[in-house]
Amino acid sequence: MTTAPGRHAIHSYRFNAMGCPCELQLDAEAADAARAAAAAQAEVDRLDRKYSHYRDDSLVARIGAAADAGHAVEVDAETADLLDFAATLHAQSNGRFDVTAGALTKLWDLRASRVPDADALATALARTGWQRVEWRRPRLRLTLPGMRLDLGGVVKEYAADRAAQCCREAGVGHGVVDLGGDIAVVGAHRDGAPWLAGIKAPHDTGRAIAMIELLHGGLATSGDYERVMIVDGRRYSHIIDPVTGHPVESFASVSVVADSCLVAGAASTMGMLLGVDAGDEWLRGLGLPYLCVDAAGRTRGTLLR
Amino acid sequence: MGSAMRFSPSLAALMSAAAALVPDAHAQSTTAAETDARVSYRFNDYSEDAFSGAAIGDRDRYRVLSQQFQLATPVGADAALSVSATHEVMSGSSPWYVLADLQQRPLQVMSGATIQEHRNELRASWTQGTGSAGGTTYSASYSKERDYRALAAGIERSQPLGAAVTLGYGGSFSHDAIDPFEAAKYNRIDHASKNTASVFGSIAWIIDRSTVLQAGLQLNNEHGYLSDPYKLASVGHDVVADARPGRRDAVAALLRYRRAFAGPDAALHLDYRYAQDSWGVVSHTLEAAWYQTLPAHWEFVPALRYYSQQQARFYAPFYADIGDHNFVSSDYRLGTFGAVALSVNVRKRIGQWEFSGGVERYHAATGYAIGGADAPVPGVVSYTRAFIGLDYLLR
Amino acid sequence: MAFVLGLGALAGCATTPVQPWERGRLARWDMRWDPDPLQAAMADHTHFSKEGSNGHVGAAGGGCGCN
Repeated sequence: MTTAPGRHAIHSYRFNAMGCPCELQLDAEAADAARAAAAAQAEVDRLDRKYSHYRDDSLVARIGAAADAGHAVEVDAETADLLDFAATLHAQSNGRFDVTAGALTKLWDLRASRVPDADALATALARTGWQRVEWRRPRLRLTLPGMRLDLGGVVKEYAADRAAQCCREAGVGHGVVDLGGDIAVVGAHRDGAPWLAGIKAPHDTGRAIAMIELLHGGLATSGDYERVMIVDGRRYSHIIDPVTGHPVESFASVSVVADSCLVAGAASTMGMLLGVDAGDEWLRGLGLPYLCVDAAGRTRGTLLR
Repeated sequence: MGSAMRFSPSLAALMSAAAALVPDAHAQSTTAAETDARVSYRFNDYSEDAFSGAAIGDRDRYRVLSQQFQLATPVGADAALSVSATHEVMSGSSPWYVLADLQQRPLQVMSGATIQEHRNELRASWTQGTGSAGGTTYSASYSKERDYRALAAGIERSQPLGAAVTLGYGGSFSHDAIDPFEAAKYNRIDHASKNTASVFGSIAWIIDRSTVLQAGLQLNNEHGYLSDPYKLASVGHDVVADARPGRRDAVAALLRYRRAFAGPDAALHLDYRYAQDSWGVVSHTLEAAWYQTLPAHWEFVPALRYYSQQQARFYAPFYADIGDHNFVSSDYRLGTFGAVALSVNVRKRIGQWEFSGGVERYHAATGYAIGGADAPVPGVVSYTRAFIGLDYLLR
Repeated sequence: MAFVLGLGALAGCATTPVQPWERGRLARWDMRWDPDPLQAAMADHTHFSKEGSNGHVGAAGGGCGCN
């Protein structure tokens, strides 16, 4: 982080959450910034505990247990809004964006460094699909035992927006939230200047392929070059196509700018899921500024001139 | 993302589904309008140089001390209100009329130094639409001095025409009334009024990420009593009342350029204005200012202004005879002259407070006019104006 | 992935359209038409009282018996 001379001091807070390094940069007086950072971090931790599909005590785990027992779960308003959002994503992507792919994503455990066998994959696929969900607000039932929710494509971006909102509610209107590359702007610098976000080059992460000025809204990037598994010389990304059961073969990264990190993240994940040409076409039709980088470092999109 | 983006149906669906989760997202995407409420105070000291040419009477010219208070605040998500009050105290003598001496050179007669006059003004404006979709500002003002009242109202609309172009247009109307004091004693009119109507339009372009340009046109019409009841003109051996036409039409064209320089962390402002009216006055104004940001929240702004005008057709310092002059005026403000002004402003921010101050030194001379001047214009003024200001930002 | 810097200098300029997310520098106070509207109004009022041309584009009227 650099601060040019003459600017107000920027306060930076780093912590770990949701499995990635997080940073808040706040342009405010020290006491206000500390208070806002504490509130924002508490909110991110809350969402991490609530929606993590790695934790046994999360709401997602509870919903999974209820699925195994055949029960419905009555969910709170926040979860209901997230599920409505997920339903919209499923419809807009013709089924490619699916938050019920939990069984599949658990199978593709990148730390195990092995490709799951065909039988396990088939079983997991059979337990995936938003069409197998009974969602009548506020009651949710995953209709097959073994079905699991994975809100990974949604919660981190939502948490970035929520963290930014917590800062604003704590009285700090100038700053930026960065949760492992998913960025939500609290507000422009106090003198009106924008925040600069760099999109890393896929295979040379010390270099930025683009610098984006953000005055408001969010920037989300989906990519395979940080969470990836390499087995027998093939790259397997962490983004699983719920229709085929396999990781997508797609761009190295997709970045999207939108009014919220949530929408930016949904769009960037969709762009990845749809694959190289279909993804580019879908993003172009969507109308948001975006940047796709392929494995060779070539770029397409409307984010750069 | 503002009016520049077209929303595809997919995007509209996503955004509407996201609205419950991130309700403030779209509200955040307004252009960087002032989001804080601001209270401001200004103190101005305007002091004219003493008259230096041939003159009769008190040579100490005008001094005006003024104070201004303003409150400007956003109202709700999409509106803004601004209210300001000004109080001025004016003293000093002014040019009254010009006599020709035995060599036909002008001899300025100054009015006696008046007692202190006060002027109060109240101004308010309401802006509806502070975001990137454009807005409308409604404003009104009332100004009162012992002998003068002015009531004005105006509307101004700002309308984006695309990603990089903004259209502005509006109009205003003002009614002024004067009740000159000591009317009977000096054989002045005892009451008069005038109406002024004006329309304007402008277009602004974002040329690139550091450059903006604006071009504007204004049409003005004044109708009523436009003479100065406190001034006289010398015609032969007589001294008659200042008499100007009852109507004045004017057109003005304006060009404004703003350019940011990243290296020095500064911005350049260039403004040019051309105006001409039905009395024959033609003027050019050129202003240049350099806005320099310095460490520790200082801003330093030197500026230069050059002004040049050609006289009204009927202006003369004095007249040999009435001839076919329907109109007479020896008011220097209708003569041919030019003026150069240098100013320096500084600003310093400490937390929620902004301190500002500045000085302007203005020097006018007939020789500064474009095309030079043949006739002398006694009474052109030079002055020094200094101000200090204090702003407080309420969040 | 993306990361965030504090502030950086922007070099160069182009004549292609400026995207909404690129308007940061234009939003700064020193790029406004009138960074200090109160001072601009006072300066304009002074000049208008001492010169022969009236008003400036975009203002609502409002006069005085300025001598």
